[in-house]
Amino acid sequence: MYLTHLSLTNFRNIARLDLDIPRRVVLLTGANAQGKTSVLEAIYFLAAFASFQTSAERQLINTLAVSAAAEAERAKDGGRIAVARIVAQFRDNQDQRAHRLEVRLVLEPVGPVNGQRLRKEVLLDGVKRQVNDAVGHFNAVLFIPQMSQIIEGGPDERRRYLNLTLAQVFPGYAHALSAYTKAIEQRNALLKMLSERGGDADQLEPWDRLLAEHGSKLIHWRIQAIQELEREAARVHHRLTRGAEVLRLAYDPAYDPSPRPGRQMSLKMDAPVDRSGLKREEIEKGFLERLAQARPEEIARGVTTVGPHRDEMRFLANSVDLGDYGSRGQVRTALLSLKLAEVEWMKTRTGRTPVLLLDEVLAELDLQRRADLLAYVDGTEQALLTTTDLHLFTPEFVKDANVWEVEGGVVRTQKEE
Amino acid sequence: MLPEPIQNLIFALERLPGIGPKTASRLAFYLLRAPEEISGSLAEALTDLKTKIAFCQECFNITVAGRERCEICESGQRDGSVICVVEEPLDILSIERIGAYQGKYHVLQGVINPIEGIGPDDLKIRPLLERIRRGGVLEVILATDPTMEGDATAQYLHPRLKALGVHVTRLARGLPVGGDLEYADQNTLLRALSGRQEMG
Repeated sequence: MYLTHLSLTNFRNIARLDLDIPRRVVLLTGANAQGKTSVLEAIYFLAAFASFQTSAERQLINTLAVSAAAEAERAKDGGRIAVARIVAQFRDNQDQRAHRLEVRLVLEPVGPVNGQRLRKEVLLDGVKRQVNDAVGHFNAVLFIPQMSQIIEGGPDERRRYLNLTLAQVFPGYAHALSAYTKAIEQRNALLKMLSERGGDADQLEPWDRLLAEHGSKLIHWRIQAIQELEREAARVHHRLTRGAEVLRLAYDPAYDPSPRPGRQMSLKMDAPVDRSGLKREEIEKGFLERLAQARPEEIARGVTTVGPHRDEMRFLANSVDLGDYGSRGQVRTALLSLKLAEVEWMKTRTGRTPVLLLDEVLAELDLQRRADLLAYVDGTEQALLTTTDLHLFTPEFVKDANVWEVEGGVVRTQKEE
Repeated sequence: MLPEPIQNLIFALERLPGIGPKTASRLAFYLLRAPEEISGSLAEALTDLKTKIAFCQECFNITVAGRERCEICESGQRDGSVICVVEEPLDILSIERIGAYQGKYHVLQGVINPIEGIGPDDLKIRPLLERIRRGGVLEVILATDPTMEGDATAQYLHPRLKALGVHVTRLARGLPVGGDLEYADQNTLLRALSGRQEMG
């Protein structure tokens, strides 16, 4: 799939932008803080409906627009809302049709005292959709250097990565995730109440069921996804390291549905566990039983201790955990393998090629990997890359690409020929 | 800066659901200018609401004060062997409007919601169980909303009702009549598919 047009309004430092986007490769160049990354961020938002950069999504709205709205509010002019808008036209090579996807980020006041709320509106082909239903129609894979946090950071980084990626591929994943999260919140409130004031522990029953119903879906999808991603990533990694390293992705679920033979915990790292044969119903049943066992402890602690919200995934190179012992170079290469695997996996699963978004990644790679990556990018349907330094690219690559200059939130398209 | 009586009224109106500060002041100034009978009848209606309305001791629907049981519970025409369990009195109104249900009701007056501190004991669940223990009930229809809290409440009630030997059913969920498959959200469609029925 590929974008044909992108228009942004009040998105970060970009007041207004209208771009026809060609297929193949676009290189965005310019100094730092000019808006290159914002363009990639906006495109990724259409795939994930979340930003990779900030959890405070209100920062996505142009600060000038926000203060103008606040000004209007003070002057009692009425117009007291600030809106950022991302509109994209893309072609889906599976259904062979052009689509239009629009996201509005609306910052609106609530209550009389400076309260503000961010509302997301999504329109697919002009029809309003819930965010959970809109995800998966447009696919993108994003690669930024800070993403080494997926490997080096805390488990929440890896869960976030899994959620954003899997939601694009499995219809229903986003729904299950939000239902699961809501059930956890209710259940934790109840556990807290039971631990502080006591009461009938059977009240947990309905929440256990909801947790098991939605949680088992998440676990089931994660088992499949991690196994398939591992297969692709291992292949790519083998090539990138010229056969020197074997990369493994190990899923380590907080509730593990696979029976552990002999409880040999020490073998955990070396022996891969195959959970692919498990049915979702079996996972649900087992999860429910596990929750029943954990009940006394959970009441005592006042919080839900097992389930996919505590899942972990580890990256192993030649059986060494990269999160703990990986060198900077090893982590970068593993991340590159993961990202390229993600593209291939999405292709296989959805039948569509995701748009590739690469932010300043070349500077972090050595010459050989740079060449490997550029060769890959060259063969993909559409890729947008940002760089401060065109010399990182080979002259042939630059000559074939569309090179655009970004300055002060304005993009100048200077086509070759 | 406004005289106290009008300021008080604005504050009181603002507390109502769906009314913001602007609407509240517009309503307050309207009442100030309007003939006295308008504000008078409104005041009277508001007072009557609390003094002349009570809850039915059987099903906890709203009823006229002084009566122990509501019209539906007293009616000899209604089938007492079926009880439809709803969240709020307004839900009864919706079901009554169809005119197809002949059984009786039970209003829970809310749903289980731990975040808001609402547990089973805060709802009219115990009276429901007692009502069924008294006998004569064959079927209980759980008609709580298809939200997470409504589902959890139904899940909580299910084994407890079952234990009393009654038939427990839940309202079907799925596509709205006159709806369009193409525009149905995934979740609704999924539920409609898993709850599909044999054609008669």
